[in-house]
Amino acid sequence: MRHLLRAEVRRLLATRLWSGLLLAAALIGGGMMGAMALVGPENFDPPMPGLHTEAGIRAVLGILGYTAFVPAAIGTLAVTSEYRHRTATVTFLFAPRRWQVLAAKLGTYGGAGLIYGLLLAGTAAAALFTATATQGISLGLPTGSVLALLARIGLAMVVYLLIGVGVGALLRNQVAALCVVIGYLYVGEPLLMMIPGANALYPILPGGATASLTDFTYVADAMSQELGSNAVTLVPPAAGALLLTGYALAACLAAVILPMRRDIT
Amino acid sequence: MSGDRQTIEVSRLTKRYGTVAAVRDLSFTVAPGVVTGFLGPNGAGKTTTMRMLTGLVSPTSGTATIGGRPYRKLSRPSRTVGAVFDASAFHPGHTARDHMRVYAALGGYSDSRITELLDLLGLAEAADRRTRGFSTGMRQRLNLATALLGDPRVLLLDEPSNGLDPEGMLWLRGFLRRLADEGRTVLISSHILSEVQQLVDDVVVLRRGELVAAGPLARLAGPPAVLVGSPDAARLAAALRASRRDGDALQVDSVGDGRLRVRGLDAPGIADLAAAHQVRVHELVTESTGLERLFLDLTSAKAEIP
Repeated sequence: MRHLLRAEVRRLLATRLWSGLLLAAALIGGGMMGAMALVGPENFDPPMPGLHTEAGIRAVLGILGYTAFVPAAIGTLAVTSEYRHRTATVTFLFAPRRWQVLAAKLGTYGGAGLIYGLLLAGTAAAALFTATATQGISLGLPTGSVLALLARIGLAMVVYLLIGVGVGALLRNQVAALCVVIGYLYVGEPLLMMIPGANALYPILPGGATASLTDFTYVADAMSQELGSNAVTLVPPAAGALLLTGYALAACLAAVILPMRRDIT
Repeated sequence: MSGDRQTIEVSRLTKRYGTVAAVRDLSFTVAPGVVTGFLGPNGAGKTTTMRMLTGLVSPTSGTATIGGRPYRKLSRPSRTVGAVFDASAFHPGHTARDHMRVYAALGGYSDSRITELLDLLGLAEAADRRTRGFSTGMRQRLNLATALLGDPRVLLLDEPSNGLDPEGMLWLRGFLRRLADEGRTVLISSHILSEVQQLVDDVVVLRRGELVAAGPLARLAGPPAVLVGSPDAARLAAALRASRRDGDALQVDSVGDGRLRVRGLDAPGIADLAAAHQVRVHELVTESTGLERLFLDLTSAKAEIP
């Protein structure tokens, strides 16, 4: 297993995907958060509560949570490129116990996801505190609470990256897998929120579970108001964390079990 | 372990995809110390068989073993078998060395082994270039370098001559010969007989998933025949027969129209003999061997399959 982990780490570090991952974390964390804090949520269209309120902070953090499709897509890209470039054959020749290969991939990408999440949360914290301090805004939540919320978002990114790996291992076709992952997370879930009845499911879907981590209901509330449907009630943060862990586990299990008997052609 | 001689044994191997049988009740063995050609038209089941041999594809029934064990039961498979399936199996953003380092880690081989192999295969200069820009020949050599990481006793190459230029073919021939001479088991597949004829000692011929011929190439090919046309055919035949020494397998048959079919003497030999006896020769054709004819029949018969 040590051999397999080392191989996967080498495989990842030698590609540009790795620097892309770090760059994305810094750009989304520092860049996006910095921009949002400088503009101020009260100037968004539609306007949201300002950063001096708790709701305002939860709003910008919630929006940060919506970028989870990025690590998911990167996980999918990484795992499907083995099939696209036909290295999967060579890999399974060297390591015929396929579940071990996928387990090593999940371990490696779990670690990469953690680095992504930390970098994202760290740069976002730095940008948020710097931007608000220079404007003389005192945040609507204590620093400790903001950091705790950011840490939750960082950890959610690990889960999403692993979900991406799982879907990639499942579908193998790079374009199809990317369409499914980005399409579902970026378009599918928000659409589901608009469908009366189906939106009751939203709290237990990955997006709803992530939103519950920061208790971010602004978008969901706005939608139900617009559509006149019942307001969405998110699950408690702990339950959201549990749900996300469950999704990650399901993705991992699918990734490990399904390739076992499939023919590699 | 490096002196090991490993035999490949395929026994009653069958692979069905739905109702289509890609490989049917196939049995053959591949001996160490020689280069064996695995021949057949496209779609005959060669790749499927080789993938079953390496555990990538699960057989519907039957067994395929290497040194008596199925591939998935080998303790460190890359130490026993080196296999190349795709002409290009690299991440385009990886350099040759990056690629080798991933698989060296997987198999537990040292970085010095990577340098050794890159040198051996003439890739030292290209080692730190991204594989995106590699030529077919370079890709083939990087594939081989990867397969040889564990110094395996068995080498399986699927269509290695695809896209190689004559120089590359010549190099491959010498390289595989050397590996076979070291007592290794070498199996290479091809759908073009003429490409591997110079390269292989034994052949296994497949058609529509079934075995049609197996054995030493020389025996299957039979003695080459030369067709000679001459206005003085009778004189030439007499001269040829007179030239026969004890133990020669020279055989001369008249096929009418002033033509002779000669076995046991090649075209230059016949021409020289005719010149020495001042016999005119109007036609001198080396006929295709038995295996070539068999192979031609196979490939043309494929067209009739609905």
